[in-house]
Amino acid sequence: MKPTFLSDLQLLKAAALLALCALPAMAADLRPPATVQAGQAFSIPVQGSGGATFYLVGPDIVVKREVKLDSAVQVQAKEVRAAGRYQVILCDSGCTSASFEVKAAQPAHLSFFLHPSRVPVSTPNSIDATAFVFDQYYNLVLAPSTVDFKITPASGAAFSRQVPTKRGVAWLRTDSTRNEGRVQVTAIDGNVQEARVVQQVAAEACGLRVRALPSGKTVTLETDPVRDCSGNALPDGTVVSFTTVDRDGKSTVDTPLKKGIAKTQVSIHGPAQVTVACGVVVGNEVSLSGKL
Amino acid sequence: MKSTTNPSAALTKISGRFFKLASFVIAAAALAIGQSAPEVHLDAEGLAPRPIEELTGTTIVRYYAQAWRDLATALDANRTEGLGEEFTGFAKDRLAKRISAQTKTGVHLHVVDHGHRLKAVFYSTDGSAMQLIDQAQLEIQTFDGSKLLDTQNVPHEYMVLMTPGADRWYVRDLEEVSAAKSF
Repeated sequence: MKPTFLSDLQLLKAAALLALCALPAMAADLRPPATVQAGQAFSIPVQGSGGATFYLVGPDIVVKREVKLDSAVQVQAKEVRAAGRYQVILCDSGCTSASFEVKAAQPAHLSFFLHPSRVPVSTPNSIDATAFVFDQYYNLVLAPSTVDFKITPASGAAFSRQVPTKRGVAWLRTDSTRNEGRVQVTAIDGNVQEARVVQQVAAEACGLRVRALPSGKTVTLETDPVRDCSGNALPDGTVVSFTTVDRDGKSTVDTPLKKGIAKTQVSIHGPAQVTVACGVVVGNEVSLSGKL
Repeated sequence: MKSTTNPSAALTKISGRFFKLASFVIAAAALAIGQSAPEVHLDAEGLAPRPIEELTGTTIVRYYAQAWRDLATALDANRTEGLGEEFTGFAKDRLAKRISAQTKTGVHLHVVDHGHRLKAVFYSTDGSAMQLIDQAQLEIQTFDGSKLLDTQNVPHEYMVLMTPGADRWYVRDLEEVSAAKSF
């Protein structure tokens, strides 16, 4: 009998067939979308037959359920609310996995802070506003958007600054305005807004003046209304120091402002010099002859 | 898991760098806590609008490393105890929710942490928040019970928000983002 020999091609086919038989059954193919918006349901096409176990592992969720491979796997909106990377795993005879990213939805919340809570008037770069932009599920919105910071002083015209977000954050540094009082800063991103208030207070005293009024054996020392350089009255309670230097030496009296004025009575012995100070500001000097 | 065998040496290394870079730039600070916390490098060069302080840099590195140590433990053992030491706010809530779901499904994760490169990108002027980008080298194995479902060994990138507490910095938000983003 004539011997038969397999050709190279036939050998190759036979080897491939054997190799396929030797392999375990392959898991179904899993192809999720690369990115999904937070809170939006979607489906993942699968290829295979029969049933399998589906796993969804995300930042705040782990789902395990049995699925049929003849239809797409449905992922519910509530299962993908947190932004971040999710892993999907499908196991039948073997397991296959894939991942996708959930991105934040539209801006829905602003985490806004304003610093400081009190600031002197007319101070450069003294107010800082920072806004973090979050979606309705409190995911940081990394997609660029613009935050409009609207600044409304107690008196004077309101103004605003538009600041683009970078990695979900917008911040602004601005000067305090000239007038004391409440300044409202509102951060606005689309339909979302948050307001905070900073209290502007008078700055250091300006043009501090003292008068000496003899009355009997004492002298009444009284300031003019104490104001800053923008004309804002310093708040009552601000301490004013009167210093007298006379024959008996040097003495200082600290007096709080009342109705914008500091007033005290001192006894002097002989010729005296009276000075006044408020914070870092020194006022005028008054000379007294000592003949009261 | 990578760790530094001599934490005090690492601290000295950081301090030297902080002092050397008087312009408030931290080129690379590294610290490892104990034997199980991952290695964390912090780069705060060009940080705005507020420069970082030496103590803040050291504290951030320490507590971020501890956060990942405790996170890995929690995901593996499905336990939430201890997460409140380093996590707060959304990050803590989400982790607690996830671990609860892991417990219900029988899933757990084993994380082999090969280290983190932190880049500080925003530090608010009042010092109340810092945003960082973490490029992490993680090997993550997903199990259902004792059955290994999947192994991932790819770089991960996280957007991190940290806020200060009384004596530490907390991870307030931790979102994994696609590494291809040009932050």
